[in-house]
Amino acid sequence: MDLTIRSEGNVTILEISGRFDNRTAPAVAEELEKVTRTEPARLVVNMTNVSFVDSTALATLVQGLKRCRQRRGELYLCGLQNQVYMIFELTRLDKAFTIFPDEANALQAFEN
Amino acid sequence: MADILSMLVNSQHDRFDDIAESWLAMGATSFSIWENNQMLAHWPQHHQIQPGELVAPIVAGDAILGELHVTGLADPASVMRLKAEAGIISYVSQLEYDLDMMTSELVQHQDQLLAIYKLTRSMHSQMTIDAMLNFSLLEALRMIGAQSGFAAIVPTNQEALLVQYPEGILDEAALWRYFWQMHTRDREFVLISMHEQDKLLLPPGVSNVLFIPINIRNTVAAGVGFLNKPEEDFSAPDIKLARAIASQVSAQIEMFLLYHETFEQAKLQSEMDLARRVQLNLLPQHLPMVTGLDLYATTRPAFKVGGDFYDVIANEQRPFFFSVGDITGKGLSAALLMTMALSAIRAKASFMPNPTPETIMRQSNEDLYNNFTQLGVFATVFIGQYLPEQQQMVFANAGHSPVIYRPYNTHARLLKAASTAIGILPDIFCTNENIVFRPGDILVVATDGFSEACNQQESMFGYDRMLDLIDEKADRSAQEIAEALFSAVEQFRENHPQEDDQTLIVLKGVAA
Repeated sequence: MDLTIRSEGNVTILEISGRFDNRTAPAVAEELEKVTRTEPARLVVNMTNVSFVDSTALATLVQGLKRCRQRRGELYLCGLQNQVYMIFELTRLDKAFTIFPDEANALQAFEN
Repeated sequence: MADILSMLVNSQHDRFDDIAESWLAMGATSFSIWENNQMLAHWPQHHQIQPGELVAPIVAGDAILGELHVTGLADPASVMRLKAEAGIISYVSQLEYDLDMMTSELVQHQDQLLAIYKLTRSMHSQMTIDAMLNFSLLEALRMIGAQSGFAAIVPTNQEALLVQYPEGILDEAALWRYFWQMHTRDREFVLISMHEQDKLLLPPGVSNVLFIPINIRNTVAAGVGFLNKPEEDFSAPDIKLARAIASQVSAQIEMFLLYHETFEQAKLQSEMDLARRVQLNLLPQHLPMVTGLDLYATTRPAFKVGGDFYDVIANEQRPFFFSVGDITGKGLSAALLMTMALSAIRAKASFMPNPTPETIMRQSNEDLYNNFTQLGVFATVFIGQYLPEQQQMVFANAGHSPVIYRPYNTHARLLKAASTAIGILPDIFCTNENIVFRPGDILVVATDGFSEACNQQESMFGYDRMLDLIDEKADRSAQEIAEALFSAVEQFRENHPQEDDQTLIVLKGVAA
């Protein structure tokens, strides 16, 4: 798994590639914890290159979402591949997260 | 070498007798041995004492040990002979002296060995590191002959400890500064002599220092300092002895730490065992007989305590409910929240007026949301209610998967959750869903410990294998289907350890 962090205005973009599971989730959790220290915590998690998520990955993202909201911010997801989206649907996390087709749309949503 | 000659005369009196007799036989009137102008012995014994005419000094290095005196002879041959005998006696005296020194060193070493042995034995009877350090310091000071000293230990994850003798020779902060100053020198020992010019190296009131760092588990994490050896500096044997004591202290501290860790581990283990028993007692002890259902449920925690739960609630005059849940995270915290979730759901199913899976779920989310949010966890939960008259299963699924439904006449399929898990959103937007449940229909509600079980190659058991297996075993009983799932996952994992709890409920419709 690879993890890159970029900034676009006051939005942090966390881009994850590869398998996002119980082995790689702690690294993501650590980054999420760091970027949600400041207010407002605005975060886009770009998952275009994520091939797989497990329950630990979902738990990590939910934790990130909650931290962002506690810090008067929001966490948006974008670029979910079909098999990953299916897991979100199966556990109805598609209702908890706001999910965009791509990064541009997610950033646009923050501007609005 | 003082009085070495008199000791030799006493111990070898017969040989000196022979020498004296031979001088007398040669015509000498007397033969005598002197030390510091005092006569030690003379021959013949009844002869009046008088200084000799022939005198030969007994010399060892620069020192004169004594003299041989002869009277009545003065010829050159006698002079030569007396000088030669004085030479031999001086050589023998030297040997005698060396032997004496070696003997006393040997005795001293033996004493020290015995003292270290006693110290080691007594160390074992000390109950705390503090007591052991104090005891060792006192004994070591006594053995080395220093007037004061200190010992300190800085263990990882534990409070540092400093002992000194006598109490309050230096204030504690100064002593710590000194300890670290000595430590940073990174040597096998630090010796500061009483002649040290740089007085900054000697704390006030301290004349000389010997500091020995102590290794604990391959890091220098302790040390012992000996201060103020009176009159002389610490010698090479002192350093050797101090290092031997330090290595004993090191071994003893390591043993203490190991004991402490083992004890803590055993304590934690027994607490975990207790938690596990409590947790297992919370789960249903018996599976109820429910008209129209063949029912089986069980759990296999991956750790001592787990975050999975299942429940079957069959009270007379009340509808039959069952639930399966999984708290995110593992270990004790997940286990604690699991008991909260289990109790919340059970209480509502047992006592709420007109309960349905939806109302139980909504109420439970309301109860648990704040706590779960504070702790950053959530719980996926499935609650089902069986209506035998209508041959229907009503359920609410809050983010739980896998849930597999297999009508008797078609293939098994996954049921998606209708709402997010408990603890994610303040309002869960959960609704009741219905499926027909006739004889032969199967519902399996499992936890991700099945679908996400990994093998050595890190690939997952997955949903498809579960669906295929349930199709394959559809004609079996609920228990047989459950056992087949457990054993298929175990076979798949090979030697890969079980990483997550595995919990399931299997329900199969049977003719009433």
